[in-house]
Amino acid sequence: MAPGNDNGQRLMLTGNYAAAYGAKLARAEAIPVYPITPQTTVMEKIIELIREGELDAEYLPMESEHSVMAAAIAAEATGVRVFTASSSQGIAYMHENLFVASGLRLPIVMALANRCIGPPISIYPDHMDSLDQRDTGWIQYYVEDAQEIVDTVVQSYKVAEHPEVLLPVLVCYEGLIISHFLEPVELPSQEVVDQFLPPYGPEHVLLRPEKVMHLSVTVNDRYYMEYRYQQQEAMEKAKGVIKAVDHEFGQTFGRAYGGVLQSYCMEDAEIAILSMGSLCGLARMAVDELRKEGMPVGSLKLRVFRPFPQQEIEEATRNLKLLVVLDRDASVGMGGILYAEIAGSLYHLVSKPIMVNYIVGLGGRVVTLKDLKALTTEAVEKTAEGKIDKPVRWFGVRGLE
Amino acid sequence: MNEEKACGPHMGKSYSYRELPIGATSLGIHEDVIKTGTWRTLRPAFRVKTSPCNEGCPAGVDVRGFITLMKQGLMSEAYKLYVEENPFPAVCGRVCYHPCENACNRRDFDQAVGINALERFLADFPAPVGKESPGSGKQAAVIGSGPAGMSCAYYLARLGHHVVIFEALNVIGGLLRSGIPGYRLPEEVLEKEIEKLTILGVQFKTNCPVTKELWGELEAFDAIVLAHGASEHLSLPFVSPSEGGVGILSGLDFLRRVNLAGEVSLGRRVAVIGGGNTAIDAARVSLRLGAAPTILYRRSRAEMPAFDSEIEEALKEGVEILFLTSPVAIERIESGQRIRCIKNRMGHRDESGRPSPVPVEGSDFFVEVDTIISAIGEICDLSFLPQGIDFSHQSVRVNELGATTRRGVFACGDAIDQPRSVVHAIGSGKRAAIAIDGYLKDQTDAAIMSDLVIGQRGGLSFKHYLEGASDVWSKKVVHFQDLNPDYFQYKARYARPKVPKESRTGFEEVYGNLALEEALGEAQRCFSCGLCDHCGNCYIFCPDGSVLEQEKGTLNLINYEYCKGCGICANECPIGIIEMEKEG
Repeated sequence: MAPGNDNGQRLMLTGNYAAAYGAKLARAEAIPVYPITPQTTVMEKIIELIREGELDAEYLPMESEHSVMAAAIAAEATGVRVFTASSSQGIAYMHENLFVASGLRLPIVMALANRCIGPPISIYPDHMDSLDQRDTGWIQYYVEDAQEIVDTVVQSYKVAEHPEVLLPVLVCYEGLIISHFLEPVELPSQEVVDQFLPPYGPEHVLLRPEKVMHLSVTVNDRYYMEYRYQQQEAMEKAKGVIKAVDHEFGQTFGRAYGGVLQSYCMEDAEIAILSMGSLCGLARMAVDELRKEGMPVGSLKLRVFRPFPQQEIEEATRNLKLLVVLDRDASVGMGGILYAEIAGSLYHLVSKPIMVNYIVGLGGRVVTLKDLKALTTEAVEKTAEGKIDKPVRWFGVRGLE
Repeated sequence: MNEEKACGPHMGKSYSYRELPIGATSLGIHEDVIKTGTWRTLRPAFRVKTSPCNEGCPAGVDVRGFITLMKQGLMSEAYKLYVEENPFPAVCGRVCYHPCENACNRRDFDQAVGINALERFLADFPAPVGKESPGSGKQAAVIGSGPAGMSCAYYLARLGHHVVIFEALNVIGGLLRSGIPGYRLPEEVLEKEIEKLTILGVQFKTNCPVTKELWGELEAFDAIVLAHGASEHLSLPFVSPSEGGVGILSGLDFLRRVNLAGEVSLGRRVAVIGGGNTAIDAARVSLRLGAAPTILYRRSRAEMPAFDSEIEEALKEGVEILFLTSPVAIERIESGQRIRCIKNRMGHRDESGRPSPVPVEGSDFFVEVDTIISAIGEICDLSFLPQGIDFSHQSVRVNELGATTRRGVFACGDAIDQPRSVVHAIGSGKRAAIAIDGYLKDQTDAAIMSDLVIGQRGGLSFKHYLEGASDVWSKKVVHFQDLNPDYFQYKARYARPKVPKESRTGFEEVYGNLALEEALGEAQRCFSCGLCDHCGNCYIFCPDGSVLEQEKGTLNLINYEYCKGCGICANECPIGIIEMEKEG
C-alpha cells in the first residue's frame, strides 16, 4: 500500500480524543479509567465510543487510580488488550501497581496527559508526573501532537506485545497544550490497523480456569536479580523493536517519528537543543531562525525516555560542541532529569559536548520562540567565554538573576 | 513456553535468567512457597447463627426463616415453617405484643421489621400440617383450652399422642375466646385456628371444669397438662366482701360476658381500675358499648404493664387514663356511686423493680361512676390440685421443661410463673409437649433439651426436637454490632392499615392487613441476621480467592490451605455469619 493512502479519515481532534481513537483503532478490550483533569476527556470519549458501538470494550469505572491499575493488571492477565489513561497525582497514586504491571510483564498501554504535581495545585502541564515514574519499568514515549498520539498508541501495542518486549507503555503528552487543542488528524483506517496490529495472544501470563497459573511468585535472593535482568534485557530489546515498529508504521501509513530519537538539522550542527514533547516543535523553529543568523544549530527530540537511547544520543552528539538540554521538569535538589540522564550516559566518553541545562515551562509556564533563542544564545556565549558557572539554570523565574 | 521451566523457579536449582518464565509466574500451584494458609492465626468459619428475633420470640418462632421464604414469595412454605414453632399465626399476628420486634437489629438502623404484620399476612396462606409419627398409643389430658393448652395439644398430637382437652366453659379457646375483644381477634379467626387441632384428632370436652372428682378420671392418662390459666380475679382490697359485687364487675368477667353473651349494661360513666391488658381491653370494650371509660392507675404510664400499642390505641380512641391515682373507697351517693381516689407520687422501687406509689396526703378527690370494672390482676384457682403438686404464690411450680413436682404432670401458660402473654402461653405449651414426649420415651431432661434452646430467653425449637440441629447452627445470637450496616439502605416500614378512630364504633378489627407488595417489601427489609443470603461479599473481597461459593441455601466454604485469616470476609459480611475463630 502506498504511504498515506490507507483510506483513513481526516478529523479535527484534541490530543485526548486522539488517544481515545488510538485505543479504538488498537481494539482495546478492557478500559479502566478514573477521571482526572486534564485526562478526563480521554475517558469520556472512550465511553462515548463504547456507547455508540464503535468500540467493543468493557469500560471499568473504578474508585481510584490505584484500583484502575489493579483492574488493568487483572484484565491484561486474562489475555485481553487493556488501555487506560491518567494524569498527575493520579499516576502517582498508581505508583506501586506500576511495578506490578511491568514485573508481571503485562503490555498495558496508558495515555498520560502530563500535568504538574501539586502542591501548589495546578492543572497545567510539565513532565514531572511521568518522569517521576521512570524506574517503574514502563516504556515511556513523549509525543508532540495529536497525530503522533494516535499513531503512537497504535505503535505502542505492537511494541508492548512484542514477544521480546512484553512491557507496559506510557504515551505521554502535555496536558492542555496537547490534550485540549484541536488539530487536524489523519485517522488510519481500521482494516489497515488490524493488519498492522494483530490481536493480543499472550502465552507468558494468562489466567485461564483450565490451567492454573500463579502470578508474582515469591523468590529468594537466588532469583530476584535474574528476574530484574529479564526486564533490563527486554528494555534493551525494546529499543530495536520501537524503531522497527515506527519504520513499519511509516511504510504502512506514511508517518514515522524517528524511532527513539529524532534529529533536525543535525548533520553539520555544532550546537543542539534537546527536548521532549511540545517543546520540540518550538525548538525546530528556533533552529530555523538561529540558522538564518548563522548559528550552526540543530535539534534533538527525545521521543523515548525509557528505554533510554544512550547509544543514539552518543552518536547524535558526537560532533557537538554544546548541548542545550531543555527540561520541562525538575528533580528539586538536583536539576533537570533529562539533563542528569544525558550527562550520565555521556560521561564515559573522552570527548563530549559541554552541556547546559535549562529548566523551563514548569506548571505550564509559556515558553516562547524568543525564550528559546535567548537561552540558546546565552548558552553559546557562556560556552565561548569558557565559564559555565551554573550548568543547571532555572529559566524565567522572577527574582532570579 | 518451556513448561518444565514454567513451573516456577526451583529453589534447589539455579536457572539462568533466560531459562526463567517471563512475568514472574509459575504454572500450577507452587506448593512450597504459597500455601498461605500456614500464616493464619485466626480462621474464618461460616455459621448459621441465631437471629435476635428468634431468640426474642418466647415461642421460638423462626422469624428470619419464615421471612426469608416470604421474600421469595413462598408463602405456604413460610407458613409451614412458622407452624413448626407456633400453631397460631392468625392469633399471634393479631394479639401478640411481638417482643421479636423489640429484639430486631433493624431497630438500631431505622425501624424494626414489621414482623407482627408479616405474621398476620402469612396467616392467610395456611398449609396443612400433618403428624410426625403414627399413633403412639399414649394419651394425654390437657386441662384448659386456652393458647397454652391448645399449643401443647397441637404438638402432642403431631408427635402421635392422643389428646383430650378438658374445658370448663362451653366454648373452646380459653382467654383467646373469652378475654380478648373481637376488635383484636375476631371469633371466626380463632375458629380456623382451633380447626387445626380437630384435624390432628385432638378431642375436646367442654363444660368440664376440673374438680377433685374429675382429677380421678384424669389419672388414667399417661400424662396430664395443667393449662387452666389464671381466671380468678383479685378483689379490690378496699371493698369488703359484704358489699362487693354491687356495681362492681371483674375485668375478665366483663370481657367474658361481652364476648360470649353480647351486651352488658354499664351506664355512661365507667371506671376501670388497673393498668394491665385486661384493664385496657375492658376500657376499650366499654367505649364500644357506648360508655365513657376512665382508667384509674396507681403508677405512671411508664410502669403500666399493658402493651404499649394497646395503651396508645386506647388513648386515641378516647379512653381517659388517670395516672398516679389510687382508689381508696367506694361511696354510695344519690346518683349512684363514687370512688374516693388519692393521688400518688412515685416512691422507692419495690420488689417488682418499679417505683412504688406513695399517697399524697390531702389529695383526695372523687370520680362519680355508674359501673366499676376491677382489673387489678388475675390469679389461678388451684383448689383442685391433688397432693404432691407443689405451688407457690398461686402458681404451679415447674422445672425448666415444665414438669411439676409430680411425675407425669406438666404445666404451662398462666398456671405457671411466667409473663402472662399469649405467646408465652404458646411457647410453654410447646415446651410441655416436648417434655411429655421425652417423658413417655423415657428420655432424660438433658437429652431432650440439647440443641432445643434458642438463645437465652427460653424459646425452644420444635424443629430441632424433630430433626436435630444442623452442624453449622450456632447458638450465638447476632447483635447489631455484629452486622456491617454499610450494606443496608434506609427504608421505612410498611404500616398496617388501621380503621380510623372515628369509625371504630363496633367490634370489627382495628388493624387491617398488608397488601401483597407491601408484605414483600416489608419482608425485604429483613437483614437476615446470621443467615447467609449469598450477597457474595466474602467471595468478592477475599484477596486470596479462598472463599468457595456454594449454591444458594448452602453455606460457602473456605479453602484453608490459602486463607491467611485476614478477616476481611468477616468484616464485610453484612449479616455477621462469619466467625473468626482461634486457630488450633
